[in-house]
Amino acid sequence: MSEATAGSADADESVLERYSSRVLVAGVTLAALALFLVGGWLFPDTILGTFADVLTSRNTLSAALRLSVPIAFAALGGIFSEKSGVINIGLEGLLIISAFTAIYVTYLTGNVWIGFGGGVVASVLLALLFAVVTIEFRADQIIAGLAVWLIALGLAPFASQVIFGGPNTPTVATPGAISVPVLADIPFFGALFSASPSVYLLFLAVGLSWYVFERTTFGRWVRASGENPKALDTAGVSVTRVRYAAVLISGVLSGMGGAALSLDLGQFTGNGPTMVNGKGFIAIVAYLFGNYNPVGAFLSTLLFAGLDAMQTYLQLQGIGVPRQLIRITPFVVVIVVLALVGRTRIPEAAGDHYESGEE
Amino acid sequence: MDTAVHLDGITKRFPGVVANDNVDLAVERGTVHALLGENGAGKTTLMNVLYGLYDPTAGRVLVDGAERSFESPRDAIDAGIGMIHQHFMLVDPMTVTENITLGNEPKKWGGLAVDREAARSAVVDLSERYGFDVDPDARIEDVSVGEQQRVEILKALYRGADVLILDEPTAVLTPQEVEELFEVLEELTAQGKTIIFITHKLGEAMRAADEITVLRDGRNVGTVDAAETTREGLAELMVGREVLLDVDKPPAETGDVVAAASDLVVEDERGVRAVDGVGFEVRAGEVFGIAGVDGNGQSELIEALTGLSTPDGGRIEFLGRDVTDDSRRSRIDDGMAYIPEDRQDRGLVMDFDLVENAILGSQHTAEFGPNGRIDWPHTREHAESIIDEYDVRPPNADSTSESLSGGNQQKFIVGREFERDPELVVAAHPTRGVDVGSIEFIHERLLELRKEGVAVLLVSSKLEEVQGLSDRLAVMYEGEFMDVVDPTATTEEELGLLMAGERPDADSTATAETERDVGASAGGERA
Repeated sequence: MSEATAGSADADESVLERYSSRVLVAGVTLAALALFLVGGWLFPDTILGTFADVLTSRNTLSAALRLSVPIAFAALGGIFSEKSGVINIGLEGLLIISAFTAIYVTYLTGNVWIGFGGGVVASVLLALLFAVVTIEFRADQIIAGLAVWLIALGLAPFASQVIFGGPNTPTVATPGAISVPVLADIPFFGALFSASPSVYLLFLAVGLSWYVFERTTFGRWVRASGENPKALDTAGVSVTRVRYAAVLISGVLSGMGGAALSLDLGQFTGNGPTMVNGKGFIAIVAYLFGNYNPVGAFLSTLLFAGLDAMQTYLQLQGIGVPRQLIRITPFVVVIVVLALVGRTRIPEAAGDHYESGEE
Repeated sequence: MDTAVHLDGITKRFPGVVANDNVDLAVERGTVHALLGENGAGKTTLMNVLYGLYDPTAGRVLVDGAERSFESPRDAIDAGIGMIHQHFMLVDPMTVTENITLGNEPKKWGGLAVDREAARSAVVDLSERYGFDVDPDARIEDVSVGEQQRVEILKALYRGADVLILDEPTAVLTPQEVEELFEVLEELTAQGKTIIFITHKLGEAMRAADEITVLRDGRNVGTVDAAETTREGLAELMVGREVLLDVDKPPAETGDVVAAASDLVVEDERGVRAVDGVGFEVRAGEVFGIAGVDGNGQSELIEALTGLSTPDGGRIEFLGRDVTDDSRRSRIDDGMAYIPEDRQDRGLVMDFDLVENAILGSQHTAEFGPNGRIDWPHTREHAESIIDEYDVRPPNADSTSESLSGGNQQKFIVGREFERDPELVVAAHPTRGVDVGSIEFIHERLLELRKEGVAVLLVSSKLEEVQGLSDRLAVMYEGEFMDVVDPTATTEEELGLLMAGERPDADSTATAETERDVGASAGGERA
């Protein structure tokens, strides 16, 4: 009896431990926000007042959402892939290739939505290459993922150079914002209802991904494939097929993110790290911080993007928070989460090859 | 006779090996059939053929009298065959229900969602029907090994299995859980299910099975009625000659304390105390045994003792000196030999040849590596003498250790460690996965060392082995010694209870405590 109680006490403790790092980070963030808001309300003319203005600005939320789109899409894709046991660090490359292709196809056809589809197809093709190399030919997932990034990083600006004579493409039409009547007029939260179509697509994708993992057979198979592929195999489900499907889905989702990124601006810029500029890597941080939960990944993306949006507006207000400092926050967070507390539960078989019938 | 499964002349060849050679096996419906044999006799291969994991090179598989050809486990499952593997095929963070229904989830909304209520009630119905005790909502990582095994059985039943293959089902269970499993098997056969039960343990085959088929070197050497056979008869069939099952040993002539530990604490990587305040001493000329179900801190204890890890508390003495902070190398030099539990990981370098493997741990000594250069001719002589004396086959010092069978690898390690002229031998599962002939040999050698006045610390999860060889026997449970007993004056049942963390006599807790104090104080200054 005493053992049973001890056991459940242990379980409680582990639940607390499991969430403590996230609760800590979220708590600190909320406390800081509250401090700024209260301080800004009390002393509107100080720096705190400026902060509070920025925080409550509808523009901040709408910018945060816009910045979230590519990161959150890629994060969702990363969740599918890694939950199935294939670590996809090539998300950055998928974003780059789809961002370029979307602009190029739009430029050719003049239709934003065909361009969007073109971006997704490009990303899926690159993801397929990654899947074949890692699943069929059992290449190291990390190295193959880096290769995906480097291929896209070289290919997209090169194609732009050949086709348009420079690393940056000409500008094309952008999809107009969709405003929901009445709701769009709500102060602050109205930003949720007056946004680019890609933001609504993202909401849909987050909800759907959650549903797939929690409620469908395919979601269970993906989880089992990443935790104990042999269990899935002996249950008569092909691990190879599940992993292919999961990696291709990561290509679809990342492709939507990359296409949305460039189409919302109407241009692909290919200088240096290209316009994607590390968003694929921040996406990895976001889903790790979100503990492989689509909603968690979206919220952590929103946190990172919100910080980024804030600094833009703070700069406009004349307070210079170095951009570089903001940009490293996600990585600082991941070091705190993974290294110090380490409670993100990585799928047991992530990174391992699986071959049916192997003893 | 109603035959559920008939394997007719199955031959399975792998490159260079014949794993099954023209094996016939007929299993009657509603019975438990044990497939008995040593490691490497081809039992698991044969069952993998039946389960569709391997394609037979020759021969036919008949289920319910009809010839079947299985491309994959899926086909076997469809034909009503279920397999419970030695290593459970369960997804730890998923619930019992999710695991049982994996791959066959009941669906609703035209397949768009898993019907979780239907899944749960199917699991509840099944477990009630067969009298299983499982919690459908518990996560696998939170339930006991015995319960995990019942989940595996339910998983097969859920898929409509009529024939259940169990691969070494008792290896991970406590004696009480083994008993529970056998009751489950009885209930299943009473309801018309057929069980094939792979084991290398004679006693279990005789206890649980109706019929026993013995495999040796991939051949069926006989099918016998469990009620009409004897342990000796079965052992002879398994090995092909008469085997002495009981170890015959003279009383111990103990000398000085060779190694001692007191209040030893070792934490695992999660910070949990894997070894929690253990104290003991081992004297020259005695075998001190540690029994227990695997994973109760034995490995951590041994790693601390041999210097592979640093204890988080307590002290270790060797030959009267505090060696708690000494390195592994200095302990080897002092005369502490070690037969590791994982021979392929810790005992040998698999792609080194036997000459190179023969001096692992003594490569720096004046004998083998004077002036920083290895004396290869002398090393080769040494390797050949080990091969010769410990009957390592094939007797070729140039073959890599990888090419040797498990039993021969183990004999080579035993030889290397014993030839160090040790003061203390720490033997962790020295006969795990080793055939009966080699087991006998290793046991004899251990007892010879004991006679020569060497101290032996023996850890094994095989009760027969520790009970038969030890002069004093500690039972370890959750990082602590439950008790230190005289193995000749203790029954297997009493040891089983101790291994499960229960003291045999609930009324006389006081006595147990006193005995424990005696055991502990015998082990050091633990007042």
